[in-house]
Amino acid sequence: MNLTFIKRFITTSIGRKALMAVSGLALGGFMLVHLAENLLLFKGEAAYNAWVDLLLSNPVTPFLEVGLLALFIAHIITGVWVRVEDFINAPRGYEARKWQGGRTIGSATMLYTAAAILGYLAYHLLTFRFVDHSMGFYQMVTAAFRSPVFVTVYIAGAVALALHLSHGMQSAFQTLGVNHPKYTPLIKTGGLLVAVAMTGFALISLYYLLNIDLKAAEAGYQVVVIR
Amino acid sequence: MTSSKHFSVTVRVWRQAGPAEPGKMVSYRVKDISPDMSFLEMLDILNDELIKKGETPIAFESDCREGICGSCGLVVNGDVHGPDEHSTVCQLHMRRFRDGDVITVEPWRVKAFPVLKDLVVDRSALDRMIAAGGFISVNTGAAPEANSIPVEKDKAEEAMDAAACIGCGACVAACPNGAAMLFTGAKISQLALLPQGGPERSARALNMVAAMDKQGFGNCTNEYECEAVCPKEVKVANIARMNREFLLANLLSKK
Amino acid sequence: MKLDAQIPAGPIEKKWDAHKFDLKLVNPNNRRKYDVLVVGSGLAGASAAASLGELGYNVKVFTLQDSPRRAHSIAAQGGINAAKNYPNDGDSVWRLFHDTVKGGDYRAREANVYRLAQISNQIIDHCAAIGVPFAREYSGLLSNRSFGGAQLSRTFYARGQTGQQLLLGAYSAMMRQVAAGTVTVMPRREMVDVVVKNGRARGLTVRNLVTGDLEAYSGHAVLLCTGGYANVFYLSTNAASCNVSAAWTAYKKGAGFANPCFTQIHPTCIPRSGEHQSKLTLMSESLRNDGRVWVPKTKGDKRKPGDIPEAERDYFLERRYPAFGNLVPRDIASRAAKTVVDAGYGVGPTGQSVYLDFRDAIKRKGIENIRGEYGNLFDMYYQITDESGYKAPMRIYPAPHYTMGGLWVDYNLMTTIPGLFALGEANFSDHGANRLGASALMQGLADGFFIAPSTVGGYLASAKFEAATTLDHEFADSAKEVQGKMNRLLAIKGKKTPSELHRQLGNVMWNDVGMGRTAESLKKALKKIPEIREEFWQNVAIAGADKDLNQTLEKAMKVADFLEFSELFVRDALERKESCGGHFREESCTAEGEARRDDANFSHAAVWEYQGDSKEALLHKEPLTFEHIKMAERSYK
Repeated sequence: MNLTFIKRFITTSIGRKALMAVSGLALGGFMLVHLAENLLLFKGEAAYNAWVDLLLSNPVTPFLEVGLLALFIAHIITGVWVRVEDFINAPRGYEARKWQGGRTIGSATMLYTAAAILGYLAYHLLTFRFVDHSMGFYQMVTAAFRSPVFVTVYIAGAVALALHLSHGMQSAFQTLGVNHPKYTPLIKTGGLLVAVAMTGFALISLYYLLNIDLKAAEAGYQVVVIR
Repeated sequence: MTSSKHFSVTVRVWRQAGPAEPGKMVSYRVKDISPDMSFLEMLDILNDELIKKGETPIAFESDCREGICGSCGLVVNGDVHGPDEHSTVCQLHMRRFRDGDVITVEPWRVKAFPVLKDLVVDRSALDRMIAAGGFISVNTGAAPEANSIPVEKDKAEEAMDAAACIGCGACVAACPNGAAMLFTGAKISQLALLPQGGPERSARALNMVAAMDKQGFGNCTNEYECEAVCPKEVKVANIARMNREFLLANLLSKK
Repeated sequence: MKLDAQIPAGPIEKKWDAHKFDLKLVNPNNRRKYDVLVVGSGLAGASAAASLGELGYNVKVFTLQDSPRRAHSIAAQGGINAAKNYPNDGDSVWRLFHDTVKGGDYRAREANVYRLAQISNQIIDHCAAIGVPFAREYSGLLSNRSFGGAQLSRTFYARGQTGQQLLLGAYSAMMRQVAAGTVTVMPRREMVDVVVKNGRARGLTVRNLVTGDLEAYSGHAVLLCTGGYANVFYLSTNAASCNVSAAWTAYKKGAGFANPCFTQIHPTCIPRSGEHQSKLTLMSESLRNDGRVWVPKTKGDKRKPGDIPEAERDYFLERRYPAFGNLVPRDIASRAAKTVVDAGYGVGPTGQSVYLDFRDAIKRKGIENIRGEYGNLFDMYYQITDESGYKAPMRIYPAPHYTMGGLWVDYNLMTTIPGLFALGEANFSDHGANRLGASALMQGLADGFFIAPSTVGGYLASAKFEAATTLDHEFADSAKEVQGKMNRLLAIKGKKTPSELHRQLGNVMWNDVGMGRTAESLKKALKKIPEIREEFWQNVAIAGADKDLNQTLEKAMKVADFLEFSELFVRDALERKESCGGHFREESCTAEGEARRDDANFSHAAVWEYQGDSKEALLHKEPLTFEHIKMAERSYK
């Protein structure tokens, strides 16, 4: 059995990057689906909980969860590996150094946004996944979104995610060999749109946070909220 | 001709006596510079002065001084190949500077290109990558009549764009990761775009990428600093094509 | 010294085939036992190494660059000629042969030139096959253009970077043999001596340019592919490392040096801007297809070119050569520019240039079309001069560019030292007294890919070799001699840098031995050169040590050789009392000031034999006979 090709995916610079790109694109896709799920909150408690119940009762879901975990692990391992190698090989010691316009904020901060996303993910799992779900998912989520601390973390996480994807999405296509004068501009714009969409997570949580204020307004304060 | 006013600058240059010696920045004052002088001619003048004083002149490389041989390569004030866009440092002229300027001059600082002396680095890693597959295996005498293999004009032009690489190493020097993807991608692209390179496409992609990884270059994080500094405007689309060639070869070839 | 050109018998069309049949072959299994040392990695060197490696010989390639891909062939812009006749405009091997002999002003060997024309088509086939991205038509077939005033389109090209693309092609073919294990590339190594044992070239002394160590290599044949010596003029279009030293050491070991005075001055170069200038930059002569060359009719006219009315402009090429106008051959265009500048009509801050004006072409074709055709050249001009050629005329002046002279070789490309071959610009063979545009690349690749692999094999198969190792005293003697020379240089500790002394030599060569030569100017040069040489050996300043990367020492070694060689150059020019091609003796011209050949007395290659440092070189003559081409006066009126 010839498994050299698998070895090449893991050990060569381009193979590893391809794994990182594929897992990254898949995770990006997951984030879009997850955003759509969050939007279900607006349809009300019944709709949201029904969807969650459907998910949890589906026998495929645990496998999907494991798959998702695998994607994360693959993305993190390849990402860290690439970065460690880059750290070793990076040009070092330039007294003066100017970037020539290729770099973007997104591309230059990939490692930092990655760390932030990982922290955010851990916090997210600790607050939503590994807790008592008896109060109902809708209640759990909306209650969390009324906590300023939680929402602050959530906004920071969403911004990090947006920055990460602003480079990551189009970069993944380049890594997988897709660069075409006709399609690359579309891919770059699409990637930016996906990145911007990630701020949706922040906006949803903000909505609920501001809702508290709305209720406070009912209690006698004059707060104008434009919806 | 801009002006005949001569001026003075201070150059801060990386001095390193040998590969294993420690290096440091040393400042020199250079007077009587004409704006029409090239940057390297300014260094020539400085070196002539140093030689006359019995000091060791600054070692730096250049040969054709018209931007095609790829010998020269300096980081000037943090700019790879100097401040002019898409040109080599031998094409930089002193009219870009003003009286009293302090100019920092450094070598390529890349792990795979060790410094030999002062501003001279060893770029032989690039040759080793070409030896790994940057060729088409036709023996002299075995070629068919040239016009028996038509090449689509657009493809030929694209191949020429990639083939314009002068092997100066600026892409590596500018890359935040010290990667040689643009160099390798350009050669793989050139030969993949031409039908003549077809029979060896898979092997070439696998072998050249393996050789590239062995030389101690970094990975590509698609930041495109390489394209921004390339004196011959080689495009990162060539890196994408290399990725494609490599991934397809890895999945589809029998090896 | 006996000059036997070894030209095969028989009709000219069959000579090369017949000769290949007559050459002995080396058994494929025995080839790896032969060590071939190739010096230089330009078109000739890289292609020879590739072909010899493919055949199975054990090849070592030495280059003074950090990479073999940097050789100066890379800077050739225009193209490469071949007699494919793809455009159906009447080309043939016979016509390319004819044009090359005529273009060289009847001072090349017929049999060699015919072979060159024959091989030209194979070169295109081979280069296309190894991935050289030649320009194509929409059909996908190869594109041709006319070049250098040729009356048909036989030039193949890759944008304005044909030399680069061909060199990278040859380089990649050679690197393939590196991977195959037949070729070893030794970069950053400069040949400093050829080692001769029992009358045969058996090795090299080489300086490792990083450590400064002298290294010895033994072999069965040595190929010098070391380019030309136009840097004897200090300012030329050549790269800084181009030198005569390899050829000169061979000459001192007994190789004949032929026609050193045959040099080409290229008309369309960017003029120098001051004393600091380190090199001159060539712009493709395709510019003369649309640009008009002129100077003001009034001496020292300081008005801006745009302010000079049409009636006060002298379009001197169109005036003197109405039939060819601005498209006359290189030597003629260069000399005409010199004539007007010397008479005081030159323009620009130094008065050492003439205008190349695109005003009328822009009016006729539109600025966008001009930009499309010549944009990169206008950009290059702007980068160097800070002036826009679209708004005002560019300024140009001729500059030394190529050297037709070189080591004398026979039909096998072997010098007068058995086992020592010279290929490409380093030999004297094919261009006579003037080289046509797009012919240099053709010759380098013909020599390297196709000729040397056969003839070197023939030599190896027929020679009886005694054992030779680097332990032989010949190698030790050679290293001792070179080391002695370096020690002497380093001990001088004078006041002038090698560059300054080189510039002094260049001034003499340019002013007295440049585009126009007289017995008087040449004699003046013969007096001045030994003075500079004397000063060099008294007063040169070299910092640093020999056992180190020492660029000043490298330069000094080259200048030392130029200072000796230049004298031979001048003597050759003095001896040749005719004008031919790039060699213009002002005493030998027509009433209208055009060059006049003297076939009765000078239809020969002048071959110089070294007699020792204190003795004058001995002149031998290889008569040139023309059986297939009728000698005529070149006229472009």
